[in-house]
Amino acid sequence: MVPTSYYILLSALLFTFGVVGVITRRNALVLFMSVELMLNSANLALVTFAMARQDVAGQIVVFFVIVVAAAEVAVGLALLVAIFRTKRTTDVDEINALRG
Amino acid sequence: MELIIFLITAAVAIVGAAAMLLSPNAIHSAIFLLINFVAISVLYVLLYAPFLFAIQLIVYAGAIIVLFLFVVMLLGAERAEDARERFAWQRPLGLTLAATLLGLIGYIALRGPAPEATATVADQQFASPERIAEALFTTYLLPFEITAFLLLAAVIGVVVLHMSGVLRPET
Amino acid sequence: MNWIIWLIPAFPLLGFLLNALVVRRERDAGILASVMVGLSFAATIAAMVSLEGAPADAKRLTWTLWEWISAADFRVAFGLLFDPLTAVMALLITGVGGLIHVYSIGYVHGDVRPVRFFAFMNLFVFAMLMLVMADNLLLLFLGWEGVGLCSFLLIGHYFDRRSVPPGINPSDAAVKAFVVNRIGDAAMLAALFAIFTNFGTLSFYDNPQLGISGYLDQAFVVAGETVDLGAFGQLPLIAGITLLMLVAVAGKSAQLPLYTWLPDAMAGPTPVSALIHAATMVTSGVYLIVRNHTLFDQPASAAPWVLVIGVMTAFIGATAAVAQLDIKRVLAYSTISQLGYMVAAVGMGAYVAGMYHLLTHGLFKALLFLAAGSVIHGIGGHQDMRRMGGLRDDLPTTFRLYLIGALALSGIFPLAGFWSKDEIIAHAWFDARSPLAAIILILTSAITAFYMGRQIGMIFFGRPRDPAMHAHESGSTMRWPMIALAGGALVGGLINFPGLHWLNSYLRPVLQEPEVIYTLGMGILATITTLVSAGAAYLGWKTYARDLEPRIRIGKDDPAFRYLGDLWRGMEIGWGLDWLYQRVFVRPYRAASVFLSQVVDREGIDGVLVDGTAHGLIRLAQGLRLLQTGYVRTYALMFLVGVIIVVAFFALRG
Repeated sequence: MVPTSYYILLSALLFTFGVVGVITRRNALVLFMSVELMLNSANLALVTFAMARQDVAGQIVVFFVIVVAAAEVAVGLALLVAIFRTKRTTDVDEINALRG
Repeated sequence: MELIIFLITAAVAIVGAAAMLLSPNAIHSAIFLLINFVAISVLYVLLYAPFLFAIQLIVYAGAIIVLFLFVVMLLGAERAEDARERFAWQRPLGLTLAATLLGLIGYIALRGPAPEATATVADQQFASPERIAEALFTTYLLPFEITAFLLLAAVIGVVVLHMSGVLRPET
Repeated sequence: MNWIIWLIPAFPLLGFLLNALVVRRERDAGILASVMVGLSFAATIAAMVSLEGAPADAKRLTWTLWEWISAADFRVAFGLLFDPLTAVMALLITGVGGLIHVYSIGYVHGDVRPVRFFAFMNLFVFAMLMLVMADNLLLLFLGWEGVGLCSFLLIGHYFDRRSVPPGINPSDAAVKAFVVNRIGDAAMLAALFAIFTNFGTLSFYDNPQLGISGYLDQAFVVAGETVDLGAFGQLPLIAGITLLMLVAVAGKSAQLPLYTWLPDAMAGPTPVSALIHAATMVTSGVYLIVRNHTLFDQPASAAPWVLVIGVMTAFIGATAAVAQLDIKRVLAYSTISQLGYMVAAVGMGAYVAGMYHLLTHGLFKALLFLAAGSVIHGIGGHQDMRRMGGLRDDLPTTFRLYLIGALALSGIFPLAGFWSKDEIIAHAWFDARSPLAAIILILTSAITAFYMGRQIGMIFFGRPRDPAMHAHESGSTMRWPMIALAGGALVGGLINFPGLHWLNSYLRPVLQEPEVIYTLGMGILATITTLVSAGAAYLGWKTYARDLEPRIRIGKDDPAFRYLGDLWRGMEIGWGLDWLYQRVFVRPYRAASVFLSQVVDREGIDGVLVDGTAHGLIRLAQGLRLLQTGYVRTYALMFLVGVIIVVAFFALRG
């Protein structure tokens, strides 16, 4: 007998953790992981609502989110490796060449 | 009963996430994230999403985390970030804002009409793999195919990114 | 054979187009232009022959080219009219104009822009012909404006020079001519509006071909109507219309108070002065009044004002001419004065006398200008009479021609000017019952004779005052036209000789003026006038050729200044009218223009609005650019802020 609001709160909390991670950490990889955490929290909320509404569509969406997240991680990490080859650092603050 | 499982799993997820954030070592962060993912997959089970439980474990826990670990070790990025912090003011500001966000969402969540609790689900098989397959290959066939293209694009993109030294003969 | 009449303006138009677009060489331009005017003259003669065949009560040839404007009730034809009045004007324009064109071939030889000169001379003849041949006021106005434009273009012929003798800037002179004319033009337009509003048509006579009626025969219709001027009372409509026309005439024919442009117009080449500012353009005002004589004949019209303006202008022009030091400026003020005679004549209702003087004046004033041009050309471009002296030995032919012109202008028996001028004076004394006007005109005649005597004395007699001057006579192309004009000045009196009345009879179908009966009283008056003028001429000559002659020095004031002081100075500056206009109108206007262009436009609009906006945007962009720090984490923070705002909006909205 778990009210759905508990799940939502959990999702919100995990999302907030992800946000804090993006803002706070300088290691590019940990930053990426925080983004994944945020995605997961969103997925959790979606599944919760799918259950509440007895609608499978919510879970289909989550399926797609997971697939896209996987693709995004692959490409993102490839980019990171490419940047690393030039910059020799994974510190996000070092990558500021696009300043105005 | 279900509540207890939920609370334990939720606690694990939260602790894992927090530990991921606080850990100075990137490899430790990845492992903690893995714990978090597993906890979430358990939550999926509680939410009558068996298919997603499996997908979560296979894709997230099994592939994505592995990929992260590979790259961390490839780049040797596990060491802690060096001490100098250019934007020290961003940390408290970010924490405050995040807390605000949390508060807002919580407010929305608790204010609205209470949706169904988990035990009152009428049809526990509404998201069985058969049902998922049914929806995926009929109603959502187009997004399914497009996603296939997306993956293809991702693969090609990754290959192209690292191709530069391969085709040109090294003189 | 009516179609002949459109050939008259067509030839000069063709000449203009060819000269403007095709011709390149000076020689071709001059010959082409002269030939075109000559052909126009021939066409005029042919048209006059054809005119004889028209019935006496409708003695006119008309040729409507097309319906120009047709907008509801406003209908105007592009039509030409050829009646005796037009014929007389056209003869003057093409005849004298043709002679001047031939003269110009010699005069502008070696000029920097000969083709332009001849092109605009032809355009001028075209416009002037359109003016006198128009069958309605609007087409007349087209010619009216056209001659003003050509005057501008030709006065400014030496536009690249800063100053021409006696110290005028040609561009400024051209602008002044055009702007002062414009004042008259504005009044003319107002008159057009008034005529159309009250008569419903702008056509002079009925045009059965297009179904447009004419207004000249309807003048009496509006006899009793008045215009309400509010606090100023009621003005008879006829008075209003004719008053507006008077203003237009004052502008175009250089009458008081709009004559200030004519002396400065001497900045143009001398043939231009001869053609435009002696014989033709300036006479178009007189033509306008004569053409509209049915309006001016009405009892309530502004004709008395016309007379007053004419007489005053005649007197003032003559007094100013006395003190001028530049050879052409004397003639310019003289023209103003003689135009005053013409305007006074038509103001009295003596239209034939006015036209008579117009014709004779056209002959001898053109002669005088051409002869002056001959003098200037012969001595190398100088125009200051103090530099001249004793030229009758070096320029004998020019001297004789100039003398003929001067005697004609002074009204000495039996040259042309005597007959026409005395007819006007006689009319003033006997018919119009204005002895005051007659006396002033007689006085003016004396002054006229005096300044011509002065001029002859200063230029041709005495010792040569400029040791560096070498004078030579003009070539044949310049001489023969002058000789022809001198012939006209000698026998021009025959045009309306007492007893023969050729002009009066010829213009009878248009003007219906009774013949003048020559009484003994008129003979006595004419004799007195002539004796007074002859005496004044001799006095003028003697003073400047003998008495004061030793004291004429280059660069110094005229010797008479010592005796007359400020009075002389006043005459020399044309009584200060131009000076007044400069102070009251020109300078404030220029100052306002400078202010608007530099302060308002350059600094205000360009600086503040345009540049200011640009700079403002640049500064804004520079400020905004600081947001692009390049740090991902900062961007993420900004994302977060945005997200919070959106979520808060939904959360708190309810």
